[in-house]
Amino acid sequence: MDELYLDNIDEFVNDHDKIVTYKWLSLTLGVHVNTAKQMLYHYLDHKRKESSAQLHATYLVSGKFEDNGQTGHKVSVVKEDQLEDFKSKMSLVVSVHVYSVQKALLKDSGPLYSVDYDAVKDNLKNCTKFSAIRCASAVPMSSLELQQARQIHQVPAPEPEHKKPAMNGEANASKPSTKPQKGIMGMFASKAAPKNQDNVKDIKTEQKEDTPVAEAPKSKPAAKANPMMNFFGTQTAKKPDKTEKKEEAAHSSSSAEVQRQSSQPEEKREAPAMQPPKDTKKEARSKSKRVVDSDSEEEKMEKKKRRRIKKPEPDSSDEDVIPDSPQQMKTREPSPSPEKEVEPVSHSPSQGNSQKTRKRRRVLKARTFVDDEGCIVTEKCYESESYSETEDDVQATKQASRDPVPAKRPASHKPDEKKSQKKTSANANKGSKQASIMGFFQKK
Amino acid sequence: MTTLTRQDLNFGQVVADILCEFLEVAIHLILYVREVYPSGIFQKRKKYSVPVQMSCHPELNQYIQDTLHCVKPLIEKNDAEKVVVVIMDKEHHPVERFVFEISQPTLLSISSDTLLSHVEQLLRAFILKISVCDAVLNNNPPGCSFTVLVHTRDAATRNMEKVQVIKDFPWIVADEQEVHMQEPRLIPLKTMTSDIVKMQLYVEERAHKT
Repeated sequence: MDELYLDNIDEFVNDHDKIVTYKWLSLTLGVHVNTAKQMLYHYLDHKRKESSAQLHATYLVSGKFEDNGQTGHKVSVVKEDQLEDFKSKMSLVVSVHVYSVQKALLKDSGPLYSVDYDAVKDNLKNCTKFSAIRCASAVPMSSLELQQARQIHQVPAPEPEHKKPAMNGEANASKPSTKPQKGIMGMFASKAAPKNQDNVKDIKTEQKEDTPVAEAPKSKPAAKANPMMNFFGTQTAKKPDKTEKKEEAAHSSSSAEVQRQSSQPEEKREAPAMQPPKDTKKEARSKSKRVVDSDSEEEKMEKKKRRRIKKPEPDSSDEDVIPDSPQQMKTREPSPSPEKEVEPVSHSPSQGNSQKTRKRRRVLKARTFVDDEGCIVTEKCYESESYSETEDDVQATKQASRDPVPAKRPASHKPDEKKSQKKTSANANKGSKQASIMGFFQKK
Repeated sequence: MTTLTRQDLNFGQVVADILCEFLEVAIHLILYVREVYPSGIFQKRKKYSVPVQMSCHPELNQYIQDTLHCVKPLIEKNDAEKVVVVIMDKEHHPVERFVFEISQPTLLSISSDTLLSHVEQLLRAFILKISVCDAVLNNNPPGCSFTVLVHTRDAATRNMEKVQVIKDFPWIVADEQEVHMQEPRLIPLKTMTSDIVKMQLYVEERAHKT
């Protein structure tokens, strides 16, 4: 091939200070992408030999990559200095080629996308003209086919949408997971609601097979299905599960079910709950293992709390159940181990009380006590307190940070607790700032 | 094709909005590319259909927004000639000046649809150019800060002093040392011409930075 292209690329890179990607080059010069890649390689080689201006390049590396025993195919754009390192980490390198050449050292990959954006946009109809990826059956649809496709699409769409507002009446939807939801929902859109329960049970048994855990067979699959469901489900999702649970009311583990349903992260309150068991089936398998490990030991704790929720459930509105549950789950998920220690110390009497009937909440109180070295320490921590109105308790994350601290000193706490209890009750009226000063004077 | 005059304030506001949005993105990008602040505070966001880096720091963002909020009325009335982002070293001597020269035609003739997508494309090119400008610029010394200067036409500043656009955010006449740079080198970056605005971006760089 003639040498003009070298001058062309030189002009683009040095005179215009452009970032020349292989895709942009192929569209600009009207050559096949592989030719463009070779051109860039030759240019880079040529310039490096001359060692004139400082050029930077990025490479596209693709190959097999092993990650914790699982092999996958990885395609990556890497900077030149990371190239060798990256190649050595891959088990099999399938292809390496120059992705772009530019004068500037790029700090991030954003401009690479911008470069191709306009070039592709200008050639939208035939952007694959010079591409190496081909598929014989990928042809644009004719307008008639387009219309038909739209009509078919519109028919199942109203169905899930109809359910959607019912589900999401009180919940927030977050976008990322609605997409996979819709795709899966489309598959199940035709199934009627009564079948829901049967399907839930089927999924439960499936999950049971997937993740063998030594526990009551019914409870475990149920527990697994419900956490998954509750990752994505909303309050109304509980209703089909509630009915199921009532059927199994005799089993103590059934309370574990409810607990999971009601107190699970409505952190992610998403899409149609009618199909949540089915929808989250895929995620269920991947997540069930994680959830199982962290929740298995806490189940016993939870059972106690959740039983309370279980009874007044039909009466209380869903909104009231929510406030406590994210708080619990948030503290649980980030730090499962400190939680176990903490719970016997301070949580057990007060958890799971966020309904209208029971009025108890956690209050930030300052506690002063003498520590091992004889220093007076003022600590702010949560203690439960009963009150007469419902109120949201939002400080879940603070709990996690505060509670492990008392957990670390169980011995010194208990005698101090009594002392400090008196102080806190005395100081509660005076406000947190004065509490510390009062503590100073009272100590001695 | 509709012909509008400068008095058509609605349109002036639209142009000012577009330009101020662009300037906000540009300032954030300049801070990222020239490493005025550590790259950890920046986050990838999307603007004009391409990824850009915007800062997450609330006070910085507020400062930039307030600055541009005050500049907006000047642009509306076509009083702003240049908006300059000055990067200064520790002694407050300018090291680099990113100059956005803005001019708007007095008589605007616009066509409805193609205008904005074309303008978006042009602005995208500006963003791309700023991203790669460190190819032509020398590195800055550490510990730099930045400020925004506005060169106005005529006596528009007098009005600004009278009316405080944002409370507790006063604009003052710039010092000589901030405006003028020793031994500047001029590096043009990008020019755009469109129906609604003409903009030019160049960088004045001090020859000896450290």
